[in-house]
Amino acid sequence: MAALAVVLAVAGCGGPEAGAPVVPAPAETGTSPAPSPAGDDPGAPSSAPGPQVPVRRATAPAASPAPRPVRLVVRAADVDMRVDPVGVLDDGTMEIPPDARRAGWYRFGPGPGSPRGSTVLAGHVDSRLTGIGPLAELRRARPGDEVLVTTEDGTVHRYTTVEVEKVPKQDAPLARWFDRDGDPRLVVITCGGAWRAEIGHYADNVVLTAEPVRG
Amino acid sequence: MRARLLGLTGAAGLALAGLTLAAVPASAADGDAQLWVLHGVPDLTVDVWVNGERTLDDFAPGDLAGPLDLAAGTYSVAITASDAEDDSDPAIGPVDLSLESGGSYTAVAHLDAGGDPTATLFTNDVSQTAAGEGRLTVRHVAAAPAVDVLAGGDAVISGLENPDEQVLDLPAGTVSASVVAAGTTEPALLGPADVEVAEGTNTILYAWGSATSDPASLALATQVIDGLHGDPSGVQAGELGLAADRGTAPWVWAAAAAALALTATAGTAAVRRASARSTTR
Repeated sequence: MAALAVVLAVAGCGGPEAGAPVVPAPAETGTSPAPSPAGDDPGAPSSAPGPQVPVRRATAPAASPAPRPVRLVVRAADVDMRVDPVGVLDDGTMEIPPDARRAGWYRFGPGPGSPRGSTVLAGHVDSRLTGIGPLAELRRARPGDEVLVTTEDGTVHRYTTVEVEKVPKQDAPLARWFDRDGDPRLVVITCGGAWRAEIGHYADNVVLTAEPVRG
Repeated sequence: MRARLLGLTGAAGLALAGLTLAAVPASAADGDAQLWVLHGVPDLTVDVWVNGERTLDDFAPGDLAGPLDLAAGTYSVAITASDAEDDSDPAIGPVDLSLESGGSYTAVAHLDAGGDPTATLFTNDVSQTAAGEGRLTVRHVAAAPAVDVLAGGDAVISGLENPDEQVLDLPAGTVSASVVAAGTTEPALLGPADVEVAEGTNTILYAWGSATSDPASLALATQVIDGLHGDPSGVQAGELGLAADRGTAPWVWAAAAAALALTATAGTAAVRRASARSTTR
């Protein structure tokens, strides 16, 4: 018979910074075992036979890629951009599309529609390839402004802006932006502030955070 | 299949109960160890006994059980035929597993290089991976001589012997891997198989079974431990300075609720402008 499998999100033994191990179960076999006989108060401590240990076949979990984002629209800031999946550069920073007219989606993190965590989109405020890009106007967005992200399956994910800020890069809350847990949200990142010619980077990040429109 | 945790009570049992019921992250007691058990002995359905209690019933080859959240300490594990009344006549063990606080372990029942049943406790590397990378662990638990692991035709692991392991951190992606006798390139004992090295995940491959039985029973088992990811070190999203401004002070536009949720600062106005702080640059 099919192995018992349970969807586990196991916090390990430490705090969130401990990198708690998590075992994903293949979604198609997600049958929760009843941990105790029917009628028991499942939450009560019990000296009765203990809960079941999840057992499954030792095979790789089926990949279940979510539809990737392909378009970002922030009407209040005249932003309407194509979105490409991106990763990490050799220096450890997020990869950004060289064309400032396109945004990058951090493909290792959550995507639109993920039940938890932060979907991260970022684009150059200006680039050698294309000059100033539409995200130069991101700073004009305000809390309450609508943000739309279309995924490749045609679904339009609606968000409401909750925060727009400019932060010095050395203070950038990277763990929050790239968080894969917590309430679902969208983070759109570009650059701003002073130009630091000596290092070829802007001093600050301009960041819009939005939460999904529910219902 | 029925798999029960009978003998382990207290914090471990409660943590598991919360976990299976609520399907939300259930924090194990601080300092608990996590233990998986892999069955890698061909043609033998067994029961697994922990400290004298039947913990896994009718555990079949190729099955992976866990995680069990266990208080740090030493546990006596015995493996018997599946119809045993108790653990007095084990097929494997009893072996003492010493689990350290916060550790991640997989106990594997398997064949040694000569084909005799044995058990090995592996410590899983659950340290953080670099952004964009995944971890690949290969464990040799088969009745077979030393092997090499080829990826894309090159030996990425050489001379791996039962019951050893090797750990590689690799750029996330799919690796076409095959297992060959050490020092050879063919024939493949296992594979080639596409192995997904997922970002932020320790993908643990086990070569188990027997190369010498007739028919040969070599097989691959896979265990996945995710949630190990690191974050990018920054977002450098501008190249020219054409959009620079002279304002050096950070600023934030935030809805009050968002300010509460996102920055944990108590906002009272519905929308407010906050000059967060002056800078010294």
